[in-house]
Order: sequence, then structure tokens, then C-alpha cells
Amino acid sequence: MNIWIYILRRTLYIIPILVGVTFLIFVLFHLVAGDPTYLLLGKHASVSQMEALRTELGLDRPWFVQYWDVLKSSFTFDFGRSWASKQNILDMVKQGAIPSLTLTLPAFIIGLFLSIAISLFVSFHRGKPIDRVVVFITVALMSFPSLAYILFGQYFFGYKWGLFEISGYEFGFPYFIPYVILPGMIWVAVSLGPDVRFFRTLMLDEIYQDYVRTARSKGMTERAVLFKHVLKNAMIPIITHVMNQIPFLFLGSLLLESFFGIPGLGSLILEALNNNDFPTIKAMAVLIAVIYTFFNLVMDILYTVVDPRVRLG
Amino acid sequence: MKEKMKKSIPFFTLASSFLLSGAIFFLVSCAKKDKAGEKVLHLPVSAKIKGMDPIYTNDRYSVNAVGRVYEGLLSYHYLKRPFVLEPNLALAMPQVQDGGKTYTFKLRPGVLFHDDKCFPGGKGREMVAQDVVYSFKRTIANPKALGWWVIDGKIAGGNDFREKVAKGKATMESPIEGLKALDRYTVQFKLTEPFPQFLYAFAMTFFFVVPHEAVKHYGEEFINHPVGTGPFTLKEFKRTNRIVLHKNPTFRKKLYPSEGTPEDRKEGLLADAGKQLPLVDKLVIHINVESQPRWLSFQAGKLDLLEIPKDNFDTVVTPSRNLSPKMKKKGIKLHITPALDVTYTAFQHKNKLFSNLKLRRAMSLANDPHISNNLFYSSTALVAQSIIPPGIAGFISGFKNQWVGPDVKRAKKLLAEAGYPGGKGLPVITFDTSASTVSRQIGEFFKKRMDLIGIKVQVITNPWPELQKKIQTAQTMIHSLAWGADYPDAHNFLQLLYGPNKAPGSNGSNYNDPEFNQLFESIRTLHDSPERTKLYEKMYKIAADRLPWIYGVHRQSFIMTQGWLKNFKKMEFEQGTEQYLSIDLEKKKQLQAHF
Repeated sequence: MNIWIYILRRTLYIIPILVGVTFLIFVLFHLVAGDPTYLLLGKHASVSQMEALRTELGLDRPWFVQYWDVLKSSFTFDFGRSWASKQNILDMVKQGAIPSLTLTLPAFIIGLFLSIAISLFVSFHRGKPIDRVVVFITVALMSFPSLAYILFGQYFFGYKWGLFEISGYEFGFPYFIPYVILPGMIWVAVSLGPDVRFFRTLMLDEIYQDYVRTARSKGMTERAVLFKHVLKNAMIPIITHVMNQIPFLFLGSLLLESFFGIPGLGSLILEALNNNDFPTIKAMAVLIAVIYTFFNLVMDILYTVVDPRVRLG
Repeated sequence: MKEKMKKSIPFFTLASSFLLSGAIFFLVSCAKKDKAGEKVLHLPVSAKIKGMDPIYTNDRYSVNAVGRVYEGLLSYHYLKRPFVLEPNLALAMPQVQDGGKTYTFKLRPGVLFHDDKCFPGGKGREMVAQDVVYSFKRTIANPKALGWWVIDGKIAGGNDFREKVAKGKATMESPIEGLKALDRYTVQFKLTEPFPQFLYAFAMTFFFVVPHEAVKHYGEEFINHPVGTGPFTLKEFKRTNRIVLHKNPTFRKKLYPSEGTPEDRKEGLLADAGKQLPLVDKLVIHINVESQPRWLSFQAGKLDLLEIPKDNFDTVVTPSRNLSPKMKKKGIKLHITPALDVTYTAFQHKNKLFSNLKLRRAMSLANDPHISNNLFYSSTALVAQSIIPPGIAGFISGFKNQWVGPDVKRAKKLLAEAGYPGGKGLPVITFDTSASTVSRQIGEFFKKRMDLIGIKVQVITNPWPELQKKIQTAQTMIHSLAWGADYPDAHNFLQLLYGPNKAPGSNGSNYNDPEFNQLFESIRTLHDSPERTKLYEKMYKIAADRLPWIYGVHRQSFIMTQGWLKNFKKMEFEQGTEQYLSIDLEKKKQLQAHF
């Protein structure tokens, strides 16, 4: 199939996905969540004030009219304003996505390259002391809760030794860098354990395949064997792993952002849920669905690039 | 090949580590620092700021944010306690006529709004009486405005105007009978009935003065573009991260107070008397929800004050309520101030079970607010004896409520007299509370205490809106809440037990005591006087004896300030108080050497 037709077809999938996601969110919100007017008007709210607010928010209209509005805003990306903070939701997302990405993207890329490099190295030395040491370290890294890394890192690197900023964030390059180094290092440390173990297993699955032995017997260098054959053949699960993680990079990291005072998107959904802030919940659900669909499409296309046996269709 | 790889790895590792460390330390040095000689206040905030439109501010953090850039006609004296209202944008206290139904304010001439592009040529114009009228009208006309409860039914023609606006039959230009600008500097309010607490409205952020040009120019974005007359102007507003404000260059002549208590003088709080406000050049508000970074930043000297986080309390405050020697050595000071609030467990009086006074007393005696204080507030709070907190007229110092526990023996006896010996015959009592961890723990502790006398309690946690809904529709048996003062008057607490304020009004427990109601009605129109205080005290005693609620605690704030921070005095209504604070730069340099 022509790649453009495939992309068009997959892009059109977004329509039923958005209809489904918005309907689910709409039903859940109206069934489970309480009346937002109690929260919005505070402790002195009167019945008439709550009724007036319900009318203003359109909550007294028939459900299908309300749902039509939800659907419309999802396709136009006009999410309006947050009920809780009265801020423009798209502005909130834009303002939050940049700090989130400045933290998560470099940390993710560094973590990914490090874990692939380490896993290639240890799979090459499988069974030797270095392999055992790395496995031990990765298990140890995985054994600590991420909060422990944060508390430890912030106390020693930030406060005690004064190497990094304890918390805060500055917008603009290069001012943000001092504030994301420590949380970025923690991100890498937290992800290194599971990622190295995962990639090591992938590499080991490949390293004893016949084609590797064939390549070696043909006199290929170890570097060529590892990078041209082993790594390339392990690319399908690596791409799946990476592409599944990318959408979450936009959402930031709740714990890291909250402890390091990074104004990202990490807490936006949680805050919206606590406040029964339906427009923000809806906007975030729609954006996640769109990002997820997009990266799934990219993933499918990348499969065809790394493995000629895979056909789009 | 293997050998080659082995050799190249240490070199590669060394070189890359060296380069990486160099890059990191270069980049770390990019962090912005304060300019030398500039007085910059660094203050922490533990919640995200919703915005800075006065009509939408009802949480402490937004109220404070608004108070830095906007002002009201009146404000609280910074040093005097109990709290005293004084003129702010008003030239003097209002003339009260017509038996307390007419308030006429003369405004201070020459007060300018901040320079902003919403004004012609970007120059802030003079604030006039019409701006005060406009600012009140914004709350009256807007169903989402949070300050409507203060003036609901109070301003003549106000409710009528609100209804007409809702129906599209009136606009912001339409007149309101009881709200008029008599001339450029005179504004008059006519009330439907005398309401002595009305004066407090002028110190509440809901009614701080805004220019109509800014509201029109910024539209819905006005919430992020404050244009007031206040001591600071907004330079940067990142609602989840940081707020930066600069000293307002066109701020009117406003001087640091020269009156205070002898204790204030001793503490050096009058050293800056007569100096032009604000005393600092810049204000940086650091927003951080988690307590550890706030705590570490304060310890590192990067914040000028800090409310001590619960988890760190015992490490810095001794059992005798002094600072630890380590903190003292750094020049840090401790300020302990009672908050104007009360925590309580309310009985649902619509439920006939709780019309039994002996049952209510038995439950109160079985409870142990002292242990609760220790467990949940690190013994920093004061055990409440009745509804009014210390610091306002009506609170009786030294009063001991005989029904406040713990006294399990008496509780058991009373429970038997109530007709439920050992809890027999009683249904399981549901205890509704909010979904936070501490609220749940408080519920579990209450359950354990009631178990001691045979009463079975089931703790139900609810998301906040759900709890509010249950209370407003009288679906709880007992529920746990706290109330913080909106203004420093016992009226604000006593109205919580006034029968006609029943749910969905503020009396969520639906307590309805004819004698209490009658007393409340008699104080409604009374101005501050010994006579009114006597009536407040009588109601305090009734609330203590008849236990419409089981009383919890009055919380206290424990704040640490750096040795270089000058003029700090904790204020319950703290909007705009940063204008009085100052930094001793010389001392800061000296003390920071110890950090």
C-alpha cells in the first residue's frame, strides 16, 4: 500500500478514537464526579448561586447537547477555559509542555542511549563478572522507590553539597538547564535499571542467533556484528518500547516536577481531577489520544524502515 | 577486537566524564542571581495560584497574590491586635448615617493605577469613586463571583440589579440604588438594614478596586494581567512556578506605621516607622507544593521565611516551643501565632438521634482532642473549648468546657443515662470527612475513641465536592470540618449555628436553638461594644454547654524567619503585608556565611 494512503487511513482512525474517548470521559464525569459548583463557589455558595453557575456552565442542558459541545471542542481544539483556574486550557498546556519536555526529553534520550549501550556491552560479556555486576546494579537501582532518589538527590546534591539548584525553574535557554540537571539525572537513574534489563534480554535473544555466528565466521568485526546485525534486529521491540513512552514525555513526571518545582504538565490532570475541572480533563484526554495515535503511526512506519519484511496494510 | 574495546572504554569514559562534568558545572552557573544591593524578598507558597482577578479569589494563596497588586478602601493595621480597620484607599473611615444603613467614603485623591497598556499612552490614571462602584458591580453582576455572599441582600437594589443582569435587562452601566459615586472622590453605600460587619467587606479582596479599562482590554485574560493601585506591579506570572513583582514606581505616599504595642517596639517592629512603603525593591514568590524543597531552600538561605512543615517540626522546635540551638545559631527566629479558626465534628441535628444532649456530651467526653492535637498537629494547636477562637472578642480566656474530653468514665455514665448503655441500641454512626490522608486518620482516631464507650463509627471519606454536597443536603450523621475566619469578628463563627442559616446555608449541622437564634438576631445590628462582647460571650458559653459540635482545636502557625528579614509580624489577613517587610542586606551577608 502507498505510504500516503496508509498515513491518511490511520489519520482518519483518530475520528472514532476521539468519539470513543470523549464519550467515555463524558459518561464517567457525569456518573462519578460530584457537582463542580460546590468547589467553584467555595464555602459560602448559595443554592441560587449554584443554579446560576450550572446554567452558565451549561450543565442544565440535555446530555446530548452537552456531549455535542464536548465533541465539537475536541475536533476544533478549542477547549475553552479551566473551570477551576479560569485559565485558557491550551495556554496552560503550552506553558506546561515546554518545562516538561525540557526535563523529560533529554533525560529520556540520555537514558535510552546509556541503557542500550550498557546492554550491548554486557550482552557481549555475558556470564562474566562485569555482566553480573551490571545485573546486580540494575536490580539494586530498581529496588529503590523513585521518591527515595528524589529525597536523597535533593538533600545531598542540592542542599548539602550545593552542586545543583534545590528546586525552581527559569524559562528560556540556557536558564532552564541548571534546574533540570538534577531531576534529569534522577530520571536516568530510575529508568536505567528496568531499561538495561529489558534491552539486555533483547540483545541476548539475538546474540546467539545463527546469523550472528555466520557473521562472525565470515570475519566481521565485533563492532559490525553488534551494531549492524544484533542492534538492527533488536530494533522492532526497541522502537515499540520507545514509541510507547514518548507520549508520556509530554505529560511530564508528577513526582519530579512537584518536588523540583518544575511547572510542567505532571500535575495538571491530577489537579483537574481533584477539582472536577471537566474542560481540563477532557482536553488532556483528547491530547493524549491524539499524541498516542500519532506516535503509533510513526511506530508502524519505522517498523518498515528497520525491517523490510514488515508491510504497511 | 575485544582487547581494543577494553582499552578504549576507560579512555572514552574518562574523557566523556570530564567533558560532561565541565559542561554541567558551566550550565549550573547559568542560574539567575539577585543583583547586588537590591532588596529582594524570596517567599514560599505551597499551592498553585489560580489567578489575580479579585472577584475570583477565595483561597489564601490567590487572596495574597491579589493583595500585592490591588487595594481596598480599608485595610487592617499591620501591628495592632486585636485587628483594627484603618483607611487605605479611603481618606478616612466612612461616615455612617441613617442608623447604620448609609456608609459614605471620601477617597484619597491622587492614587494612580499601575502604568499599563490598557490606558491611553500606557500611563495609569487616577482612581476615582466610579472605579469603586464598578468594582462592586462586578461581583453583583457575575454569578461566578465568589464574594457575593458578603453583600447578598445587603446593598439596596443589589439583588434586583443582579437578577436583571441575568435576564439581560440591565448592564454594568445601569444604576444601583444603594451604590453611587456622589462625586469624583465620594462613594456612598445604602444598605437594606444595618449591618455592622459591612465594613469588613472593604478589606476583602473581592471588592478591591480595579479599572474598567483593564477588564475590557484583557477580557478573560484579565485574571493574568492585574492592574491595581497596590505597592507592587506584576512582572512575571507563572501560576505553577513563580511570581515576580517589582516595587510600584507610582505608588502613593503610604508610610510604615508608627503605632504598635510595646512588644512590637521591643522586637524592633517600629524601627522603620514613617518610611515610605514598600520597603523592598522586588518580590519573588516561589511556588512549591512539596514541603521538602521549601524546607531545604529555607535551610540554604534561599527563602526568607517558612511555615514549618509538620514533618520537620520536631527537628527545629523544642518541647518548650523554642527554636533548636542550631537554628538560633543561624540567626533564625520563630513566630508562633494563633490562627482564627476552629476544627470540629458536627452532629447532624436533623437526625433525631442527636437531639439527645446526653449522647452528644458522652461522645464529646469520649473524644480526646489533646492526643489528636499531638498526633495531627504536633501539639502546636490549642484545644478548643467552644466555637470562637482566641484573638477576637467573644473568646473567653481561661474558660474550661466541662464537656471537652477525655473522660471515658463520665462518658460511659452519660451514655447510659442517654438510654444507650455501652452503646446498645445505637446504630452505626457514619463519620463523613474529606479524602485526604490526614482527614482519614482523624476519622480513624475518632472511631477508636468512640469504641471505648461502645459506639460503633464508620469512617467515610469523600472527594471534597461530594462531602460538600452531602453536608448541604443533610446526608451526613456526623462530619468533620474546619472553619477559618473571613473577618475578625465572632459573628463569622456564630452564624454557623444560627438556625435560619441551615443547609444548604452555612449552618451545615442544621443546629436550631431558639435561645441561640434570638441572641444572634440581637447582635446582628450591634456595632463593636462591651454590650455586644457580652452577648458574644453568652453565645460562646451556650455553644460550649449544648455541644452542637464536638470541638477540635484552634490551629497555630509556626513560622521561621531568617535573621535578615525585618518587620515580620504574622497577620491572619495577610494580603499586601509584604509592603511592610524589609531586608537587612549587611546582616544577610554576615549570616549567610553560616549557611
